[in-house]
Amino acid sequence: MTPKRRGAPRDPEPPHAGSPYTDSPYTESSYADTPYAASPREEDEAAGAAGREGAPTSPVAARQPRRVTWRKVTVLPAVLAVVLLATWLWFAQADLDSISENALSDGQVGKALRQHVELTAISTFFVLVIAIPLGILLTRRAFRKGAPVAMALANMGQATPAIGLLALLVIWLGIGEKAALTGIIIYAVLPVLSNTIAGLRANDPTLLEAARGIGMSPLGVLAKVELPLAVPLILAGVRTALVLNVGTATLATFGGGGGLGVLITTGITNQRMPVLLLGSILTVVLALLVDWLASLAELVLSPRGLEVRS
Amino acid sequence: MNFWEYLGNRRQQLLADAFQHASAVFQCMVVATAIGVLIGVLTYRSQWAGNLATTVTSTILTIPSLAMIGLLIPVVGLGVAPTVTALTLYGLLPIVRNAIVGLRGVDPTLVDAAKGIGMSRLHRLVRIELPLAWPPILTGIRVSTQMLMGIAAIAAYASGPGLGNEIFRGIASLGSKNALNQVLAGTLGIIVLALLFDAVYVLIGRLTIPRGIRV
Repeated sequence: MTPKRRGAPRDPEPPHAGSPYTDSPYTESSYADTPYAASPREEDEAAGAAGREGAPTSPVAARQPRRVTWRKVTVLPAVLAVVLLATWLWFAQADLDSISENALSDGQVGKALRQHVELTAISTFFVLVIAIPLGILLTRRAFRKGAPVAMALANMGQATPAIGLLALLVIWLGIGEKAALTGIIIYAVLPVLSNTIAGLRANDPTLLEAARGIGMSPLGVLAKVELPLAVPLILAGVRTALVLNVGTATLATFGGGGGLGVLITTGITNQRMPVLLLGSILTVVLALLVDWLASLAELVLSPRGLEVRS
Repeated sequence: MNFWEYLGNRRQQLLADAFQHASAVFQCMVVATAIGVLIGVLTYRSQWAGNLATTVTSTILTIPSLAMIGLLIPVVGLGVAPTVTALTLYGLLPIVRNAIVGLRGVDPTLVDAAKGIGMSRLHRLVRIELPLAWPPILTGIRVSTQMLMGIAAIAAYASGPGLGNEIFRGIASLGSKNALNQVLAGTLGIIVLALLFDAVYVLIGRLTIPRGIRV
């Protein structure tokens, strides 16, 4: 219906085409639209120009403005520092009742934080050690048939609730850090694995052909061509794993694995908001900080030659 | 009591939990889709606003769900409110990002052509840009739904509705005979729900994605 009504007032316009009156809506409309239509083109040009200018001088100078700016790198830690400071100031003047005192005294907060970092670090280490070699293996010719199975498993794994997986492992392995760690690792292996496989598969086959053509051994092709080219995707997978692990580690408390989740669950069950808030804020800060560190690593470790792609 | 007997015995309870789980996720997805597409439409044309929207939503996604629920409880209390708020917030990210990417990916010459035949801004958006951006948006909705299924389970700890209650009941009674059954029923129930939703999305995709742009 609306298109017809829209079209109707336009129909009588053509007769006045020459008059200055109809000219002005024309210019006006085209003027109003140009920002949208032109902005991508302008940007492409701007990016292209920056690339052209930057390329001859130095690759580092060219990539700095594109990927990351000082503002981007410093804003997050500054915000997190402010949040931590505000929390600390609030706790310094807050009068807590005995239940909250009990939950937070004797360095329990520090212990929970340390446990959380430990859980995250150990699980991430194992995730990398398991997932990346497995990903490499599944893209070799001999094992290539296994890749679709792994991908299907990875998709299924996403539908599995982390808390359910953890609870099953606790029932199977008993309460403690072991069950929690196993759960966290299983939960994060699949995304990293699928990223590694996707990264290695996305490589241009002609490049591999060329590498073989100049007489590189299969191992040389893997180490010198395939893996460096897949580094951005693999690192993205690692970052995902780290963030996932910080999150899943909050659930470790349900299996007696400790971590910052202890503060959150204590806060909820005892209805003590200061404990709950402290646990939540620390978890959030830790997650964002880990993500920030991973983004720095991504930046530093990505091969320079691939900068254009991102 | 083995697993099948357990399922038979607690059929009523399990079905009620499953229904609540599905309906919570579904309602939050509807809200998240509406808000997410709106944010995408409002921000995709400006580089700055689009990036801001993506950054903010991905920051939200970085926050562990238990911590998010913990931050929401002092504000909105226990029960349904923190669950719905958290689910909607988490559901936004993939939709906003895919909406922005999809809308920006629309071929500008097509929009130009639409402009040329006299379509208004709103018409171009509704008739050209959104249908072309629909496949990535639908993918975002699928990803969101899968994620929300798991987060809804955790929300049960804050007295939220759904199958997560089954899992937490199992954890609370560790060592009892029914603990495994309860956890298994909750976990498998959520997986089945997630797969069912996914199948529905595939169907929706087949029905709503214009034939011309189907892969």
